[in-house]
Amino acid sequence: MGLPYGVISMAKKNFLSPIFSEVLNHLFKKPATGKYPFVKCTPAEGFRGRQVFDIGLCVSCGLCSRDCPAKAIEMVDVNGKKRPMFLLDRCIFCYQCAESCPRNAIKSTEIFELATTNKSDLVLKPQPLDQKAGVSNVA
Amino acid sequence: MANNDINILKVLEAKNFQIQPGKLGTVAIQAGGGKHRDALKALLEVDEKTAVTAITGIDLGDNIGVYYHVRTSNAFATIQCEVPKDKPTLATITDLVPGAAFHELEVTDLLGVVFVGHPSPGRFVLPDTWPEGVYPLRKDFKPSEIKFNPPSTEDVSLSDDRGLVKIVIGPHHPALLEPEKFAVLVDGETVKNVEPRIGYVHRGVEKAAESKTYLQGVYLVERICGICNSCHATAFVEAVEKILKTEVPPRAKYIRTIILELNRLHSHLLTLGHAGLEIGYETLFQYFWRDREPIMDLTEMVTGNRVISSSLTVGGVRRDIKETDIPKIKATLAALRKKIPFYKQMYENEPSLKMRMQKVGTLSREDALKLCVVGPVARGSGVDIDVRKDEPYEAYGEIPFKEIVYTAGDTWARMNVRMDEVEESINIIEYALDHLPGGAYRVKVPRVVPPGEAVNRVEAPRGELFYYVKSNGTAFPERVKVRTPTFANIPAFLKTAIGENIADVPPNFVSLDPCFSCTDR
Repeated sequence: MGLPYGVISMAKKNFLSPIFSEVLNHLFKKPATGKYPFVKCTPAEGFRGRQVFDIGLCVSCGLCSRDCPAKAIEMVDVNGKKRPMFLLDRCIFCYQCAESCPRNAIKSTEIFELATTNKSDLVLKPQPLDQKAGVSNVA
Repeated sequence: MANNDINILKVLEAKNFQIQPGKLGTVAIQAGGGKHRDALKALLEVDEKTAVTAITGIDLGDNIGVYYHVRTSNAFATIQCEVPKDKPTLATITDLVPGAAFHELEVTDLLGVVFVGHPSPGRFVLPDTWPEGVYPLRKDFKPSEIKFNPPSTEDVSLSDDRGLVKIVIGPHHPALLEPEKFAVLVDGETVKNVEPRIGYVHRGVEKAAESKTYLQGVYLVERICGICNSCHATAFVEAVEKILKTEVPPRAKYIRTIILELNRLHSHLLTLGHAGLEIGYETLFQYFWRDREPIMDLTEMVTGNRVISSSLTVGGVRRDIKETDIPKIKATLAALRKKIPFYKQMYENEPSLKMRMQKVGTLSREDALKLCVVGPVARGSGVDIDVRKDEPYEAYGEIPFKEIVYTAGDTWARMNVRMDEVEESINIIEYALDHLPGGAYRVKVPRVVPPGEAVNRVEAPRGELFYYVKSNGTAFPERVKVRTPTFANIPAFLKTAIGENIADVPPNFVSLDPCFSCTDR
């Protein structure tokens, strides 16, 4: 049978794999990984994180709910008006709602740490305007 | 577009086929009553690169439409036939084009068309417990009424009287990240046969797309595959734009090209690293993935998300590239370009990589053509097909780039195609950034799409991705057909694994860059 092909070629060429120099170089470099969660990681500008809904701008048109591909927005009654309730457990963070909103009432944030053991934490209920002045739902 | 002078319109006209130029690709051929085989034969005779891209089944009311989408070296044809719903039988084409076998099985499962003479009929996409006579893509299908059969309690024999042993890889297997089953029959260490069974992650996206508006559909099809998400979105929105006859602004075309190439870059770096993992070279895997990370960050910066970009929409792109981001993109790409000689040397000369990859899973050019494989698998076997060159979409027609072709046909060649394409992708992005046109990046399109149908092809990182979209004049599509590159490439693995060592199965398989959530949809 003889030696397998690779062993012969290795012996013939006495070839030192370029990976060795890369490994050696890396010994004196900063690690490629970040120290998350001890060091905060900031997403790029324009990152699609958790939405913020501004009830003061909402006109109750329901376009966000109609266009949502994941059925993650339900229109609920708040003081007699229909307002969007975000179910983040269904949300796919495509931001079609923000794009469909005629009044820009839905804005992006860079909040991405949404993991929770309780599903109901992921339901963002629209807060009536009089409870908090102006912007709501940043709970 | 033309890389040879065969004019299929003339060929078909000479043989008296009923043709409609410009419909569903280059030409639509009406071939009812068994003439589909003749049409295919006519194309095969004149062009060796004739291959079946996909077979679409569609419920047309009383009839079921079966559309054979055929690519040739310079054109794309659709052979249309109809079969009655009460007796849907059609002659198989697997004897002419062996690569069509999977496509026929899928149409049988989902629409109930029986292909007479198919070499290995049986369940393929749907579960084994699926009731007989229920076809999910027919319009009268009601999901609430399915009554599943009890699972089979039959003992599965793992060895036969010839002393051959069946090794079942998957659906749950440490080496497979996604569920799919391959039953490998071995004689000692030699593989004698591989039986595939797909469908473990079949989510019915094609059916679900019928209940989403075109606007929502983009987000749905994007989620067929995490890695090549932008390719799915591009293929879908382009098909819809073809029906709408919308011209996308040039800036949007360039931005789409950049996003698609970022997609290709991170996908190729993923596979090149993953190949290292599969052959036991974990250091290489770590380094590839280290260098892939900046590309993911670029994707996040350009599109707003690391993986699923959600940045394409019918009529353009959803966000512009900021002028301030361009130097950052260029700097990151320049840093990656500096790493390429190291990786290239690794893939070309490193003895352990060569030992595991050279002369493993060799697919000859003839087999590659017969099995209708696509993408780097075809280009590794010397078949120069690349949708970006053959039928330029977006800005690819204006951007100079090389088509990478290797002729060895083995695992090593396929990986080296990807290695070289990484460099080409960097060139394409840099060129696109330098020549980024100004102006609008999206146009307003109506939500209701007029009746019509369109086919569209996109070169995904894994190969040619095919979409067929039919509109019925409402805001919801009538039919969306997806043929993913891995679906077309699995036959290559089944063919090349036979006769090789069982230990060569992982590198051979990973060289297809398999994506099962794509395959099953």
